Amino acid sequence: MSIAPQLLRGPSLMAEILLSEAEKAFIHHGDDLRCDGRTRLDYRPIILETGLVSNASGSSRLRLANSDVLVGVKVELASPLSEKPLEGRLEFFVDCSANATPEFEGRGGEDLANEICRFLQMSYMSGDTINLSELSVLAGQQCWVLYVDILILECGGNLYDTVSLAVKSALYTTQIPSIKVATMDGDQPELELSEDPYDTKRLNTQNVPCLVTLMKIGNHYLVDPTPEEECCSSSGVVVAVSGSKKITAVRKIGSGSLHPESLVSMLKTASEVGAVVNKILMKKLLEEETAGKTQKVGFMR
Amino acid sequence: MPVDSRRLQGPESAFSYTLLEKKDANAEESILSADLQKMLIDSNHVRKDKRKPTDARPLFLRTGIISQAKGSAYIEQGNTKLVCGVYGPREVQKKSDFRLNGQLFCEFKFAPFSCQKRRSHQQDNEELVLSGLLREALEAAVCLHHFPKAQVEVNIMVIENDGSPLAAALTCASLALASASIPMYDLVIGAAVRQLPKLLLLDPTKDEEWQPKLNHDENNSNLTVGFMPSMQQICAYVHEGVSNPEELEQMLKIVTEYCLKVQPVVQLCLKETVEKMLASEGENNDAE
Repeated sequence: MSIAPQLLRGPSLMAEILLSEAEKAFIHHGDDLRCDGRTRLDYRPIILETGLVSNASGSSRLRLANSDVLVGVKVELASPLSEKPLEGRLEFFVDCSANATPEFEGRGGEDLANEICRFLQMSYMSGDTINLSELSVLAGQQCWVLYVDILILECGGNLYDTVSLAVKSALYTTQIPSIKVATMDGDQPELELSEDPYDTKRLNTQNVPCLVTLMKIGNHYLVDPTPEEECCSSSGVVVAVSGSKKITAVRKIGSGSLHPESLVSMLKTASEVGAVVNKILMKKLLEEETAGKTQKVGFMR
Repeated sequence: MPVDSRRLQGPESAFSYTLLEKKDANAEESILSADLQKMLIDSNHVRKDKRKPTDARPLFLRTGIISQAKGSAYIEQGNTKLVCGVYGPREVQKKSDFRLNGQLFCEFKFAPFSCQKRRSHQQDNEELVLSGLLREALEAAVCLHHFPKAQVEVNIMVIENDGSPLAAALTCASLALASASIPMYDLVIGAAVRQLPKLLLLDPTKDEEWQPKLNHDENNSNLTVGFMPSMQQICAYVHEGVSNPEELEQMLKIVTEYCLKVQPVVQLCLKETVEKMLASEGENNDAE
């Protein structure tokens, strides 16, 4: 009876994943072949659709095998932070609802949600990834705030990667309305919203990072772990890789430890994998955009 | 953000006067890495506090400073000062939290006056995440199976933050745990390094630490590592900022080398603690 390390700190009602000794042995010692036929560096199939939520400024739904995530971005006007008067900002909020998995019941998902939020914030912070000064409307007074709300509909392992891909796609489609400072009435500026609802701009998301989780199992490590694999592993790393193949944030997850050498090799692999994932995601997003209006599939399907 | 109504809150619009400080030539926004490097280090490769890039700040360690705690430690790393108290192992109070292995409970707290900006009394998001990182790091080092169904509390209070608080907290917490006679596989030594485009600064101060800023044209980052020297294992790894994997490898090397140097110091401190403990026990026995 083992429990996925990411969920270890949840309260009681753990949905235990039952694994037989033989299954564990296979996961630990199997060759470059996993239970579902993948090699160690393969992802599971991903389904992605954007623009599903009509009330959001940008949205996406991403399903990676059994992990299902819906992301909505709302843009709002606010005054900038006093320490950063020339920048707008991104606010992440992850909702681990109890619907996704019983571990999230009560306050169970809170820690995990907090961790994901904070890590996203961390990986988006460096100047390389997203240009926050584009979000400034009136220096020191008004700026755009992008509220990125992440709803976890189903939890089937590898949440970090799933969430990050969905967030990137949602930000890609986010439309920020054009706004002009019309007149300065004394101290009070008057903001004028463009009358044309299609007069919008989009963020440059080329360099926005994707997260890659590598789990260390036995003497190997693998990407996109299933819940069964997660509970056979005691440690791993989450690496944020930007579109330009650079690493923008790393942290170790799980309660185990790693040898420096294997850690370094994991980081190298993660940056390779991340670059490929980024490239494919951007390609698919562009494909969807150019395909024009097609029948929406919708979420929870 | 929920606020504690029993505490006196400042007006909502209050902000630190330091923000009004005049900055030369819109400095911060337009700082390029080259200028930044010049600001932190002079032409002779000496840092502002007279250290070489690969020098750490002087370290001061002491155990047994909280009489009520099972074990405690105090660390001073330059101006970064923090205390750690370890309580337990004690029975897990909530039945729902039952687990067969022992559990660690970590609380990381900055004193309200410890940073340049005032911090709230309640744990904020950053502190929660730091608590989690600390717990994950220590869980790898503590023999949890030695105290089943019980929990050990590790409380960190940062009194003064002058950079690399997590690194200092890791060293301090493992020392406090050891002085509380909690079985561990190895001591955890924390260390941090700041990366500038062509330069690595070990054990950065607050001014040297990486801050998220725009217009950084090249690689800039901060790395904190918890290392178990005798086991050669990394139990904490937090990296923020932009780097290539090759650079990370180099940063890791510098950090682990430093940890190997610190290990005997921590061991010495622990040895003195044990000697003192034995001596006082001897006195007690004599008195009887």
